[in-house]
Amino acid sequence: MGYFGRRILGVIPVIMVTWTLVFVVLQIIPGDPVNLMLAGVPASEEVRARERERLGLNKPVVERYFSFLARAAQGDLGDSFRSRRPVTDMIAEQMWPTIELALGGLAVGLSLGIVLGVLAGIRPNGWVDSSCMALAMVGVSLPSFWIGMMLIYVFGTVLMWVPITGRGFDALVLPSITVGLFIAGGFARLVRSSIVEAMGQDYVRTARAKGLPRRKVVLKHALRNALIPPVTLLGIQFALLIGGAVVTENVFARPGLGTMLVDAVLTKDMPLVQALIVYKTAAYVVINAAIDIVYGIIDPRVRMAQNS
Amino acid sequence: MSSSRRTVLKTGAASLALLAAPTIARAQATAANTLIWADDSNSDVTYDPRVTQSRHEEQVIVQVFDQLIMSDETGKLSPGLATAWEMSPDATSVRLSLRNDVKFHDGTPFNAEAVKFTMDTIADPATGSQGAVDMLGPYDKTEILGSHEVRINFKAPNAGILDTLTENELSIVSPAAVQRLGNTGFAQAPVGTGPFRFVSWERGREVVLDRNPDYAWAPTWSTVQGPSNVQRIVHRFIPNNATRVAALEAGEVHIGDILPALDTKRLADSGKFKAMIGVAAGLSFGALLNTSRGPFDDIRVRRAFMHSIDRPRLAQNLYFGIIKAAFGPLAPSTPGYWAGGEQYFPFDRALANRLLDEAGWTMGPNGIRVKNGQPLRVFFPSLLLPDVAVALQSEARRVGFDIAVENVLKQRQDELLMTNQYEMAVIRWVSNDPGVLRIPFHSSNIPEPGKFKFNWARVNDPAMDDLIAKAAQARTAAERTSLFAALQKDIMDRAIFFPIHDQVQTVAHSARVSGLRYARGNWQMRFHEARLATA
Repeated sequence: MGYFGRRILGVIPVIMVTWTLVFVVLQIIPGDPVNLMLAGVPASEEVRARERERLGLNKPVVERYFSFLARAAQGDLGDSFRSRRPVTDMIAEQMWPTIELALGGLAVGLSLGIVLGVLAGIRPNGWVDSSCMALAMVGVSLPSFWIGMMLIYVFGTVLMWVPITGRGFDALVLPSITVGLFIAGGFARLVRSSIVEAMGQDYVRTARAKGLPRRKVVLKHALRNALIPPVTLLGIQFALLIGGAVVTENVFARPGLGTMLVDAVLTKDMPLVQALIVYKTAAYVVINAAIDIVYGIIDPRVRMAQNS
Repeated sequence: MSSSRRTVLKTGAASLALLAAPTIARAQATAANTLIWADDSNSDVTYDPRVTQSRHEEQVIVQVFDQLIMSDETGKLSPGLATAWEMSPDATSVRLSLRNDVKFHDGTPFNAEAVKFTMDTIADPATGSQGAVDMLGPYDKTEILGSHEVRINFKAPNAGILDTLTENELSIVSPAAVQRLGNTGFAQAPVGTGPFRFVSWERGREVVLDRNPDYAWAPTWSTVQGPSNVQRIVHRFIPNNATRVAALEAGEVHIGDILPALDTKRLADSGKFKAMIGVAAGLSFGALLNTSRGPFDDIRVRRAFMHSIDRPRLAQNLYFGIIKAAFGPLAPSTPGYWAGGEQYFPFDRALANRLLDEAGWTMGPNGIRVKNGQPLRVFFPSLLLPDVAVALQSEARRVGFDIAVENVLKQRQDELLMTNQYEMAVIRWVSNDPGVLRIPFHSSNIPEPGKFKFNWARVNDPAMDDLIAKAAQARTAAERTSLFAALQKDIMDRAIFFPIHDQVQTVAHSARVSGLRYARGNWQMRFHEARLATA
């Protein structure tokens, strides 16, 4: 069995433990799913009792846990308490808008982060460096709901360049910038320190001594080596985004898994919460594996170490 | 050296320009004659009227379905899918003659079978009805008397049924569609007889409805008798208040649901938008005072609290005239509203002070009254509208109340209410039925540990239970009205519910849109008569 096969199999115990934890926590936190689902609804006690029975909530906890595991083993993660639809269908629907925003945010974050980081790193401590790092700090510090609202006000309401809500590429611009500014902030700082370090290395000095143009030295030699730590951060950011960006989704009225998870937790829609946790756990593992491959591309030494 | 820096800068500028590219042109998002509604929720799960109880889901349902009896926003009954009806003298059955020229959106005919199917499936536990089943009450069965004639029978008198049949929850569904799609499938693609048919639903983003070109059975009060002038309705989910307002101002949507009061006023004042304030039927937003413990077990203290608050001024200060003070347990738009409540508890600080003196609470040195060494402290876990809680706190303080407000989440609130650890709590409830009073005032609804219920005043009096039961079982409309009036008077006499302000739907819409009408209860908006002027 190959390296990746082992990693994929290794995810099963992780999912089992996470699942059990989620199940236990959902039992402990107060609130009856039926009352939360019918909050503010004049449903009679008979209706509520009937709903509890339909959802199997009147069965003992242990029985519910094992019947849930048995069904999950057959690939049936159950139906949502609220919508009564298979949770896998529901997640599949919200997956694309979530990935769309994650990719948009990463594209903005990555390009802005690299540009700011490189500009700052090639001439440390100058005014360019200070300005870029100040910008990065702003990106990390400002809450995304505020950035989102400001972007909406300026580009949506006043200038009317892009739609505020809706679907399509132009409606993705403002949310991507909102997510991207945050990513760019962290990314730029990491790229900067890596570049500063790389610029002091022997191979950069050798490259410059050979008379290579500075552009080639920075982009081909220094940047490539400097990218390893930022790529790790990128992986973590992507894994986070793939779980949904709750605030950005809310501000731009976008569907997504972040909103779905918050709703599911607040209404104690247990099958949906459990399925989302499985999805997120699996996404983390897959993305981590993907990052390993990217390491190999950036730095062949990593690939050789894995093969030996 | 400098040339290479320029290159780097150029690369940076190029990537920024790439990001900005899509912003250059902004396509007109809306096709002509498409009306876009911005809803303040994004968690709709079902559009099956038999199942739902959500006002958001009903905003779609009210366009897609018709009811047997239709009602305009004033609550007046008029023929809908039924052309005539007759209650039995003992109020245990109603006989309905049905229209014979109506088709569902799937082409199948509307008939007596469809009515029987709808009612029977509402009563079937497998449907999982959350609202309709309670509305049908003591349902027994539906008899088919002819192809377009039915009798709905009840096990006990149900005098309110004619009103109830106008509710969205009791809309008539297409039996063929339910059988073809199953209950869950039908909830995702509902089929009715209404002015708009369901086209698509992109979850969390929008629902699309197209006009029903065959629609020819509008209620008499409708100004449009044939198909709607609007081609398409887009129901867009925009839960964030500020975004909903921005989308309205940018012209991306035409109508904004439940906007903040200040924005509603600003938009209306601008002249580009019009506001429609709907006073929702049901329980007014108000406070239930816990009669089972603490200082509020004394009616004089409850009355003193109510006299200490200037409600019209409070509503004006908080809502700029958009929302008005309330004076009874039911909103004026509810059937059976009793206007006598308006005479109760006018603002009178001197009277409040006198009542507290009489009750033995003497003013302490710090402005808080004291009795037997105990301060006049009222614990108020507040789930809704924290600004109102603070306004009550500061007003009541002027006569010596120490109101301890704790802003709580729902789960904490539920726990405090179930275990009787509170002196007051606020409630609101949208309903077209005065029978909603049973929920907060019947003794069987006093919360218990593990059982979350709504009699937070904890009134436990067989006389009140009896009045609630009698009103629900009244045999004639006149008897029903007078019993509900007596019930509202009883609630006010006992000083257990302090009405604070109306529960309102604050809608603002583009001045291009006309012909909007609230559905009964003033929450949902009907689009059948809407028109969209060209920009």
